[in-house]
Amino acid sequence: MNSKLIDRLQILSISLIWLLFTGIAVWILNLIKESLRLHDAPDASLGISLVAIPVFFTLSSVLTYVFIGLRKGRKKDVES
Amino acid sequence: MEKAPAAPHPDFDLLRPIEDPGKNFYYIVAVLLVIILYTGYVYIRQLYHGLGVTGMAQPVTWGFYIINFVFFIGISHAGTLISAILRLSKAEWRRPITRMAEVITAIVLAIGGLHPIIDLGRPDRMLHLFYNGRLQSPLLWDITSITAYFTASTVYLYIPMIPDIAILRDRGVKPRWLYEFLSWGWQGTEQQHKVLDRAMNILMVMVIPIAISVHTIISYIFAMTVQPGWHSTIFGPYFVVGAIFSGIAAILVLMIVFRKVFHLERYLKLIHFNYLSVLLLIMSLLWFYFTFSEYLTGYYGHEPNEMRVFWYKFTGAFAPYFWTMVTCNFLLPLILLSNRKTRTIPGILIASISVIIGMWLERLIIVVPSLANPRLPYPTGIYIPSATEWTLFIGGVSVFILGYMMFARFFPVISVWEIQEGRQESAKAVTERIASYMPDPQPPSAKR
Repeated sequence: MNSKLIDRLQILSISLIWLLFTGIAVWILNLIKESLRLHDAPDASLGISLVAIPVFFTLSSVLTYVFIGLRKGRKKDVES
Repeated sequence: MEKAPAAPHPDFDLLRPIEDPGKNFYYIVAVLLVIILYTGYVYIRQLYHGLGVTGMAQPVTWGFYIINFVFFIGISHAGTLISAILRLSKAEWRRPITRMAEVITAIVLAIGGLHPIIDLGRPDRMLHLFYNGRLQSPLLWDITSITAYFTASTVYLYIPMIPDIAILRDRGVKPRWLYEFLSWGWQGTEQQHKVLDRAMNILMVMVIPIAISVHTIISYIFAMTVQPGWHSTIFGPYFVVGAIFSGIAAILVLMIVFRKVFHLERYLKLIHFNYLSVLLLIMSLLWFYFTFSEYLTGYYGHEPNEMRVFWYKFTGAFAPYFWTMVTCNFLLPLILLSNRKTRTIPGILIASISVIIGMWLERLIIVVPSLANPRLPYPTGIYIPSATEWTLFIGGVSVFILGYMMFARFFPVISVWEIQEGRQESAKAVTERIASYMPDPQPPSAKR
């Protein structure tokens, strides 16, 4: 398979991971908004989100770090 | 299938299942696919007819599906948690074990996570969670923590696989595009190794609290209610201990199977089994301690509703399951693993299978008796799982076997690069580490 196409697919996969995790964060924020609107124990919702959202973003950041780090660490990139 | 034109490799035994899977692989896959397709049909029938086709009824409204959910998620602790602990403690003997363990986590979590949906008569109503979910419900904590654990363990499985994927890519193994896509341009440069190490260090620290939180939160589904037999403060650690216990047993069974089938005796040595089986024995003792504490406090309180559940387990309808559980989880492992003569591969296999059965029974004993003995003045309930529930259980196990086989078909189940790194660097690193533990030599001036 064409290496340019593989490159694009790799970038697409990382973007999709960010999209997925951002989607989860938006979902959690929406549930907090609902609990605030209904006065339905928003403190519990806030507590959960304070733990959950950073976990997902840390995971996607680690993946992105590895993705970019491996690209920058390739022989031709190191030599140039 | 066309064989890849590959050069000899010092660890070819680890690549053989990928480059030359053999005919038996396809036969087993075909059998498993038939079972899974039949399971799919049975599930669709359940969707059509509703949960009436299961053995669940009032008052026992949770049955096999929730038991299997807790059981499979428990097995998932085999991987990432144990692997992270071994990596973090720099246990060099971990090298051939970690990947096998991590794969269990990823596959079993996916299967376990589906079970609460199977338990719903109207699974389409899961969509309500997206609009009207209540984050203060332990059920939603579960969804969040299992999603986090699944993604974390998949990332934790994938990142250390990159160098091995690159080996397969460089050997021209097919499908080449897959290995090229997944290897992320790995060339093994020093800078790339640094990036990988740094990412692994972050992940292994991160994954341990996530894994512990998952099974603690699963226990909260039970413990947050005031139901007799469930409302317990030690349920969190009790579930975590049980999960690690069943997880180690699952790793041992898989190690023994892979060792036998793929002739990996050179990699999975007796010492690996010895270390893990001692760990299994320790977990067995810990499990017994938690079980004893859990039931002793209930008995001492002698609260009538609590005692009804207690006697139902100890001498009532569930007594055979209860005492089988004690035998499988405590007596058998204790007898087989505490004696050096029986701590052999067959002995370890028997003990591990016994623990897996015992831990499944433990989930059964936690879920059903508390529901069968309601506090309202109703007669004791009865739960007999239907053929539908048994089929879905067998289907779940088949998905696990198929998932593991497919993984082993495309990727090495033992990390090739970590084995090579171990050969080149471990001996020196361990010598240096041991030297650092030892007292410093006395300075010449202090000598008498």
